[in-house]
Amino acid sequence: MKLIIAALAAALVPASAHAQSFLGYRALGLPVGAADARAVALGNLGIGLPGVQLTASDPASAGALLFPTVSVSMQPSWGDFDLDGQTGTARTTRFPMIGIAYPVPGAQATVTLSLSGHMEQRWAGEQDRIVSLGGLDVPVNDRFETNGGSSVARLGWAQRLGERFSLGATVGTYVGRIDQAFERTLDSLVVGSDVRPYEEDSAWQYGGYTLSAGFATDPHDLIHLAGAVEWSGELKQKPKLQTEGGERAFSIPLRLSAGATGRLSERLHINTSVAYQDWSAAQGFEAGVVSTETLSYGAGLEVQVIRRDTRSFPLRLGYRQGALPFRYRDQDAAESAWSLGFGMNLVEIEGVRFGWMDVAVERGTRASAPLSENFWRATISLGISSS
Amino acid sequence: MTEGPIRACRRPRGQGRRPRSRSPRTAPLALLALAACQESLPTAATDDLVRGGVAVEVILPFEDFGTRTRVFGGYGRASELGGGFVAHAFGSGTGGVDEEGLEAVTLLRFGRYPGFASVTDTTGTTRPDSSLTFLSGRIAVRFDTLSSVHRGPVEVTARATTEAWDGVSANWEYAIDTLRHHVLWSRPGGGVLEEIGSAVWDPAADGDSLMIMVDSARVASWGDTLNPARGVHLSTSDPGVRLQMRSALMWLRTLPSSNPDTIIDVLASTEATSFIYDPIPRVPDGSLRIGGAPAWRTVIDLNIPGTLTGPPELCDVLGCPLTITERHVSYAALQLTTAAESPAFAPSDTLTIDLRMVMVPDILPKSPLGPGTTGLTGVALAPQLFAPPAGRLVEVPATTVVRDLLRGETADGDPVSNTVALLSTFEPLSIEYASFEDAIGPGSPRLRLILNFGADG
Repeated sequence: MKLIIAALAAALVPASAHAQSFLGYRALGLPVGAADARAVALGNLGIGLPGVQLTASDPASAGALLFPTVSVSMQPSWGDFDLDGQTGTARTTRFPMIGIAYPVPGAQATVTLSLSGHMEQRWAGEQDRIVSLGGLDVPVNDRFETNGGSSVARLGWAQRLGERFSLGATVGTYVGRIDQAFERTLDSLVVGSDVRPYEEDSAWQYGGYTLSAGFATDPHDLIHLAGAVEWSGELKQKPKLQTEGGERAFSIPLRLSAGATGRLSERLHINTSVAYQDWSAAQGFEAGVVSTETLSYGAGLEVQVIRRDTRSFPLRLGYRQGALPFRYRDQDAAESAWSLGFGMNLVEIEGVRFGWMDVAVERGTRASAPLSENFWRATISLGISSS
Repeated sequence: MTEGPIRACRRPRGQGRRPRSRSPRTAPLALLALAACQESLPTAATDDLVRGGVAVEVILPFEDFGTRTRVFGGYGRASELGGGFVAHAFGSGTGGVDEEGLEAVTLLRFGRYPGFASVTDTTGTTRPDSSLTFLSGRIAVRFDTLSSVHRGPVEVTARATTEAWDGVSANWEYAIDTLRHHVLWSRPGGGVLEEIGSAVWDPAADGDSLMIMVDSARVASWGDTLNPARGVHLSTSDPGVRLQMRSALMWLRTLPSSNPDTIIDVLASTEATSFIYDPIPRVPDGSLRIGGAPAWRTVIDLNIPGTLTGPPELCDVLGCPLTITERHVSYAALQLTTAAESPAFAPSDTLTIDLRMVMVPDILPKSPLGPGTTGLTGVALAPQLFAPPAGRLVEVPATTVVRDLLRGETADGDPVSNTVALLSTFEPLSIEYASFEDAIGPGSPRLRLILNFGADG
């Protein structure tokens, strides 16, 4: 609980993301995928999982909540890359999703508030060059660093309609910022130590609106289905402080997603999910940046290894394949990951979780020639639901 | 809710709270978080990722960045230097403005003699003895061997002054030259003098020290500290010599009453150390001047351009006119051309100068100055730069000044001034001064800029 409170306190300074990649360096960066450890472990795209949980990308899922619920995720990641023969590593830790839900019993509904990552740009480039100053060849080191990303703050309403059906809708706003810094350092052995580095800092703030709607249903005791559609207005990038240049706007294409979970046995569940988003006609990007790939999908298995009256211990295995919206150069980018995880449902009564911790570990790759990236990523989600 | 991504590793390492005991369930989580709590960006060296910039060197002629130069003198006094000079016909016969060369003498005044000394008596006990008999003295003079200019041994003569003089304001013409009290020497250069003694300083044999003996009568007369005429006048008659004296002390041969068989040396206090010289440098015509004692300052009125119309390599890339701001200025320096103005005052040792803003130019020459901009040590100028025919280019870094002027205020938000002063890091630093060519002519000051621009300007 203390960790949850600490995470929530940190989240008061918002926006969240978790990815580091050179992909999308000319556009909005790398999408932040599912942020809940249960979904990650199952290769799920964040939709179509039954039970008590808070998922930003499944507007109707909160309809199953009976009590006020808070959930937070933490995501450390370690990666390496190979870019045209250059190799390197990276690591970071983020809080990619924080959510609060509060049921309204009189209306058979739940109000949700969440903050989740959307895109992230975190990378740096360095280059040594020679410039001519007054007829003198001067070695310089140029470093360009970009750090930040966009997130979405959502306010949602999930309405239960009967025992087996829920509808949900959210309205959200893009938040977050991106900071860029360029520094040129001239070789002091040539020009002397009095020559100062040239520094150019700029920052942009993200803004814009997004709406989503979805459903969740249990047409049969053994089947859970969910679907969602997310529409976004333009994602706007406004210069901050003394940053020069005007506002930029990027169109975000409609995102359609669906997921399903089937109970194969008392202890074994299978799930699958799919998302469609066509960036090829998106506006505001440089030519040749957006990908033509549109489809992402994932599937996974969950088995209740230990099951007691008030607690359970599920194991999870998943795989997902994602279409990334932005290329490195000319080749469409793709991401795939195998995942493994477990859950600790610390308090569970008749299948309803009141306190839980989910852990997932992914091993994934991304590729968009000449870039290839590998990553290990852990996701830890904590949740508590209490009257 | 508008700021950037949340990092989980906000707290710097080593500043965390004292670890608390954790439950077995959360311990692995904490370990995982700690293991990940070192952020590093993926970094690659490729032109794809790094926007190139434009770096250019621009040299502005004086008319493009300055409007006026002025030279002011009279800052500080020779007595504040804490040392002295001894010179005779130094720099004479060179056809310059100071044809007769430099004449300089050092004036010393010793103060009260010690009232007691610790003496070991006949029983071997050390105790204070306040009954001292001063038998004679010797003046120990130390010269700066590097900055002194001479050829071989130099004879230095000590004479006693006989006219009242002021240790702070005395100069070649006046024994006393204060605001309301002016007393001329009966003869310029120290008035009527009485011989004390001479000694030859041979650095090869004596190192940096010279001893001149003082007889008992003179020692006794100098014991009257109410006599304002007492003093030592150190000079030389060897032509072409300029010696810089670092310190002078007078040791007194003393007979203590508690042990009459022993002679001890005690030190007289030094009340005044100064020097007087002739000729007094005139206000330069056609050159800039920095240094000297009293000190000279060169004041320049700047008008740093906010836009550039060249050079072509810059305009070709970014277009002109091009606005420059303080962040574009990686380096700025005033380029000055050295001049060999007066051999009598030409530097014989390194001079250090500074560049500071003149905060209230309207009240020059007494305006307060802004802080130094060239660091603690200033800009070191080697004496060879001023050796005839001079004409050497020296740079005085002015990055802070130019950046502040383009910004319109200092980095701390303090006001700025378009008028700057070039001056010694300490005033006075030396009798020597640095001369540079004025704003008129081919050697006029220039402003060298190293500018950097992002790829998009």
